[in-house]
Amino acid sequence: MKKYFTRMGDGSAVYMTEEEIRKDIEAGIANAVRGAKVDPLTDDEIEHLYNIITAPDSVVSVENHRRVVQTSDSSSNKLGRHSGIAIDQPTQTVIYERCLGCDSMDMGLNDYNFKAVKSCAENEAVIVKNALTYSAMPLLYGGMPNLGFYTKPDGPVDNWAELLPAGKLDEARAAQEEAVEYAVHDMVFVADTMYKVGVDGINLDTCGASGDADWLAALKACEIIRNKYPDMGVEMGMAGEFVLGMHGKLEYDGVRLAGLYPHQQVKLAEKAGATIFGAVVNTNSNMSFAWNLARTCTFIKACMEVAEIPVHVNVGMGVGAIPMSEYMPADVVSRTDKALIEICNIDGL
Amino acid sequence: MSKEAIIQAAYDSIIECDEEKAMKALDDAKEQGISFVELLSEGFSAGIRELGERFAFGEVFLPELMACTEVMQKAVAIIEEEMEKSGQQTKKKGVMVIGTVEGDIHDIGKGIVASMVKTNGIEVHDLGREVPARVFVEKAEEYGADFIGSSALLTTTMTVQKEIEEILKKEGLKGKYKTMVGGAPVTQRWADKIGADAFCEDATEAVKTIQKWLKEMGREEGM
Amino acid sequence: MGGMHTAGDLVLRMQLAKGMKIDEAKKYVADKLGITVEELCDPIVMSEIREELGLGLQLPKSKDAIAMEAKINIAKVLGIKINSVEVFKSRANL
Repeated sequence: MKKYFTRMGDGSAVYMTEEEIRKDIEAGIANAVRGAKVDPLTDDEIEHLYNIITAPDSVVSVENHRRVVQTSDSSSNKLGRHSGIAIDQPTQTVIYERCLGCDSMDMGLNDYNFKAVKSCAENEAVIVKNALTYSAMPLLYGGMPNLGFYTKPDGPVDNWAELLPAGKLDEARAAQEEAVEYAVHDMVFVADTMYKVGVDGINLDTCGASGDADWLAALKACEIIRNKYPDMGVEMGMAGEFVLGMHGKLEYDGVRLAGLYPHQQVKLAEKAGATIFGAVVNTNSNMSFAWNLARTCTFIKACMEVAEIPVHVNVGMGVGAIPMSEYMPADVVSRTDKALIEICNIDGL
Repeated sequence: MSKEAIIQAAYDSIIECDEEKAMKALDDAKEQGISFVELLSEGFSAGIRELGERFAFGEVFLPELMACTEVMQKAVAIIEEEMEKSGQQTKKKGVMVIGTVEGDIHDIGKGIVASMVKTNGIEVHDLGREVPARVFVEKAEEYGADFIGSSALLTTTMTVQKEIEEILKKEGLKGKYKTMVGGAPVTQRWADKIGADAFCEDATEAVKTIQKWLKEMGREEGM
Repeated sequence: MGGMHTAGDLVLRMQLAKGMKIDEAKKYVADKLGITVEELCDPIVMSEIREELGLGLQLPKSKDAIAMEAKINIAKVLGIKINSVEVFKSRANL
């Protein structure tokens, strides 16, 4: 029986039969439908997905006119931080622009948190200004709201991750609400500083990583930033396919945040004034690429059907069906890109 | 009230986070002479498993989950008391130490695992966050643990999980404890590479893994 | 989409500045440059246009507009405000 090369969610190479792949595609779709209560992929879309997964080429692509644009996260210091090449960030941005053909780059601190940036925002702004002067592509400044960093001993607020298991629900909720205000202040402060040197946009990354309060902070910050600076874009990237309900009762614009899926998340991001929405679907490292990709496409297709702003799907380590590995194989990355573009009609990656 | 209805009420009391309903189910079970072991496994524990499933899909949120696990713990405490009185085996099935590794302060997932595992008759010692590898082993020895759980949310802190395995091997303790690893960048591949006994994607899987181990140890009903 | 090798950076500017969906952003840029949407991704076509209009190049010669020079031209060609260009002009008293 013919077997096809593919991978598991942790990157391990496996060979699967047609039946196994099709079964995993169905199961991935069913999992997404169960969670988000959205429509499954159509039979044609499933067949298209199967053909992408089982294509014989190592790297697949799309027709020229279907190519989409790219934004990023985790700062432009990847050549320095990850590859250990000692180059300053402004020079790295020019390398990304001219040598690697990036459409944009987001700059940021190695400690990619707005709380950390706050104390050195002015220094960061000088680096950003240099990069803006040397390069021509759009540059954003990014960071994570990362509400957890506002808890003791790293911050001023009681740790709700300790209060919750102790049954102190009211105290845990109050702590999260307090942390929201600190986080909003820091995100807006950094945006103010970067706007003054001319940054093209702010990237609020992994919104919701610490739960619904974390996302609320990002929504509030986005609203303030966009009202202050209507000519500066804000990209709001999420942390997962649904918002973890650490608080459970927080709302934005009358909508409860906990438990929302991408097709619901994007509408609130639009309400907050975001110009680009970064949808995220986490990879299950125990399941196959076929399962993960089918699941991702189901969520994202539903999101794209309602989105009025551009949606850039996060495709990287552990998200967007990509294996949880720092070394991302081009075979699965290109297949994910192709599926998202051709089946889900995304606006960017 | 029929046995099925009482077990259903126990199940519902967890899903609905209804302490009063849970207590009534216990009273009814006692009155009808229904086995508490059955009430626990088919009723209360089944409810917690369903809740865990709903939590994994974002249908139930953490404060609700915590409140429901409190109801569960109260029910379990009463069951334990009753079973001791009647001379039946105590509920404790095992001991676990769990923590977030050194250099890492992310503890949300670890906290959820600790709470869920606790509701399954395991005595859990939460070591907190930023726990050095050596402390995992020391505390496992101190508490007479059966299971060691470690959580790492960063690729840079995952290496502490490897250190735990190395310390266990070096001190001839590998095999004395079952080790499980978890956290966002952690995978089965990593667990296999470092020699951990299990990788758990989430709290539900952690509970299933422990239940599997308890079965292998013949401790499903208690120590 | 290839960034400066083609027109990816220009298309992304329209998404960031005006919230345009991908097809709308591509059409807008193509219309402004007087080319087809297909030609936006053609490095042969785009390198000639970028050189002619001073929009920045992957392999710039000494005569070519780069960096802030290119951004000033990009803002004009696309009919948008680029924040760093405005800041530059203001600080340089232009």
